[in-house]
Amino acid sequence: MGAWEFYAVVLLVYLGTNLLSVWGLNLQFGVSGVANLAYIVMVAAGAYTYGVLTLGPDTGNGGFQHYVIGLSLPFPLAVVAAATVGAVVGVLVGLTGLKRLRQDYQAMAMLVVSIMAATVVSADTGLLNGNEGLSLIPNPFADLDPELGRWAYVGVVVVACAAGWIVLRRLTTGPMGRTLRAMRDDEYAAAAIGKDIVVLRLMVQAVGGAFAGLSGALLAAFIGGWSPSAWAYTETLALLTAVIVGGMGSDRGASVGTLVVTILILQGVQFLPQIPSHPGLTEDLGWIVLGSLVILFIFLRPQGLLPERRPSYAETADPGMAEVDAGRRDG
Amino acid sequence: MLHTLIQAVGFGVAAGAVIALGAVGFSVQFGISNILNITYGALMTLAAYLGLFLVDAGLSAWVALPLVGIAVGVASVLFHRGLLAPLVRRGTRSFAIVIVTVAASIVLQYIIVAIVGPQAKTYGAQSGNTFHVLDVSLTTAQVTIILLTVALMLALHLLLTRTTLGRAMRATSSNRTLAQSCGIATDRISDLAWLISGTLCGAAGVALAITVVSFDFTLGAIFLIPMIAAAVLGGIGQPYGAMVGALVVGVASEVAGAFSDPVYKDVVAFLILIVMLLIRPRGLFGAAWSARRLMA
Amino acid sequence: MTAARAKPILEVEGLVKRYGGVHAVDGVSFSVERASITGIIGPNGAGKSTVLGVVSGFLPPTSGRIRFDGDDVTGEPMHRLARRGLVRTFQLARVFGGLTALENLAVAAPRQRGERTLGVLGGRWVWGTEEPGVVGRARRLLHTFGMAASENEYARNLSGGQRRAVEVMRALMTGARLLVLDEPMAGLSPALSRQLEEAFLRLVEEGLSLLLVEHELDTVERICGKVVVMAQGRVLSEGRMAELRLRQEVQDAYVIG
Repeated sequence: MGAWEFYAVVLLVYLGTNLLSVWGLNLQFGVSGVANLAYIVMVAAGAYTYGVLTLGPDTGNGGFQHYVIGLSLPFPLAVVAAATVGAVVGVLVGLTGLKRLRQDYQAMAMLVVSIMAATVVSADTGLLNGNEGLSLIPNPFADLDPELGRWAYVGVVVVACAAGWIVLRRLTTGPMGRTLRAMRDDEYAAAAIGKDIVVLRLMVQAVGGAFAGLSGALLAAFIGGWSPSAWAYTETLALLTAVIVGGMGSDRGASVGTLVVTILILQGVQFLPQIPSHPGLTEDLGWIVLGSLVILFIFLRPQGLLPERRPSYAETADPGMAEVDAGRRDG
Repeated sequence: MLHTLIQAVGFGVAAGAVIALGAVGFSVQFGISNILNITYGALMTLAAYLGLFLVDAGLSAWVALPLVGIAVGVASVLFHRGLLAPLVRRGTRSFAIVIVTVAASIVLQYIIVAIVGPQAKTYGAQSGNTFHVLDVSLTTAQVTIILLTVALMLALHLLLTRTTLGRAMRATSSNRTLAQSCGIATDRISDLAWLISGTLCGAAGVALAITVVSFDFTLGAIFLIPMIAAAVLGGIGQPYGAMVGALVVGVASEVAGAFSDPVYKDVVAFLILIVMLLIRPRGLFGAAWSARRLMA
Repeated sequence: MTAARAKPILEVEGLVKRYGGVHAVDGVSFSVERASITGIIGPNGAGKSTVLGVVSGFLPPTSGRIRFDGDDVTGEPMHRLARRGLVRTFQLARVFGGLTALENLAVAAPRQRGERTLGVLGGRWVWGTEEPGVVGRARRLLHTFGMAASENEYARNLSGGQRRAVEVMRALMTGARLLVLDEPMAGLSPALSRQLEEAFLRLVEEGLSLLLVEHELDTVERICGKVVVMAQGRVLSEGRMAELRLRQEVQDAYVIG
């Protein structure tokens, strides 16, 4: 496999998994208005779940890792489990938001949860192998010819994205999309017309969490490893940048935002020349650009590049409306 | 055992002093502008590195402390005036403002690390003796910081209660529109409040750098949790509450760390924060009216 | 038949709401008859908005009983009351800013298939047939209130009067039987106020009941059948506005405040 081909595979896999997590975050934040700065914890939950389920017992491979479970389960089962765990973690995190606290207060709490989760997992060497993280996570296509295996994996990611998009659209369009956006715009007014806010929020936390868990699992299986450095609290901001830059509340906008963030920034900076005295400089630049983009867009164009579109009900005609329509057209 | 406990309490008081400098400033900013300024942590990191620059140039860390404090104070005012206040004015939602402060925090941290690199830095060992007070041994640095914090808290107290400026600050904090209709120039009061709290932020950053063995660009981010926990415990917006909260968080963390794995120091602060948010968000000393300010 | 109609749609018994040490509402009892408009008036701080807040499920009561259409609904949350037919509006009209006027109404249609699990999973196949009906109802309401031309305007761009109208229309979309309104005329021009009053009277003729808190005493006199006067958390007096104006204790309450 040539270097460019390999690079293309990596880019496509990252793009696909990022799309899944950004869609989930946009569903929670852009569409439903649920503050969740701990989103990356759900991605990590999925990745770790996949890892500890597909790896064998931790005594294997020379016993250099220490973690729980270890069932050597096959790929499909582990992925489903990862999405489920992501959903459960999403709901648990969502329960803390039921206290009706101000959004920014909740956001701060979630940020703290994110930092603390990473700290605790890093420190506990027996749970998920601490700061070193899990490695040698099996890839489902490990037995195939490497080139075929990699493209097969891209295929898996594409299928996951297609399925994810269908589920996403079910929630963000139609009556449910309306209701979620109403909840986002004014929670109390939505309750005043009969919407059960608690159930709706938990549902969105669960589905968003499932998207996150799925994304994490697919990443972990591809990279073959997962450690706390992959899910620092800053990662949620990278996802949030995609949502804000692309267009909050808009699925297409979030997709465009993901393209911008993943390709242009995270990959684009790799093409800048490395400065020997500052090895991590390009990554630092990437973060500086991301952070600045968020501030710039919130300041100048909060609706994003592809804002939410005004829905058209022009074709929705009710048979008894003929006279009213005539009246409308004239006056 | 008792000795360990007493020693831990002593360290807790020293830790609480640094936390107090941070928590009080953070609380004041929330009280005056209704903003949870997450960038506070990154500004502390900036202070630590500015102090390092001066220390490496030959200045004593204790001289650098007030200088850096004021520099960060000015930076805070500019940050609020230039970025946060305009966003508030145009009705940006509070959640978006928090995201902006988180983003600014990340930008600042990575600018720092891009310039100075990720290696751990240190101010070097602080000269001086160890003091023995009531079976507790503290270094000169720790004692100095405790005394400094007490002095600053006293000064703040006098400012808030004995001066017109302080009264204006308290009025603006509790009800901005009412204060405006009383003829108080709330914008200028805000600037002064941010200058003062920003100075505390800078002082806290340098103090923190003095007390830790070494630090890197994540200094502020790590310190954020005990600081926010202290502010919330005391009642966010209440500077006096933050002082008490800082003491409680400092002592509780050190005691927990002394009797189990040191990493659990931060976990204690985190637990205090989460428990408070779930049970009594207005904190121990927050008034009922401030509780309503925290509800959506 | 007569007995059922005579039963009030809302009965409030001994309502108490305490905040810390303060009794914002201190033993309030009144009822709202079917197909009528009841007004609550009183000086600032009398506890009127608090009563509304508790009745609509926004706040939990400290003690007391609330009966809606005969059922004990004490302490039920807003959304549950709304599903029963008790819907409130807010002092500052709360519209869904990111939704168009039409969508603001459409979202309020009750029991939509598209909001149930099966409906969401099934997509347009399941809820597609319901949409024209919902949109049609919404359009008819907009037409009745003279806002047909604004159906695709984002609600955040609507004027104060239009927002108030959207709030009322939205409540009607839910099939509400009792509207609880917090200062509905606040911020409206006299002309718009009159229009809204006429709309209210029309709705009452069709069987709707209204409970409102209002400071505009002229409005209250024009449309309210029964008026409850509150002061310092208690009911001071009850009756028709014209007679209440003459009572000494009502005049005193407004002067002392």
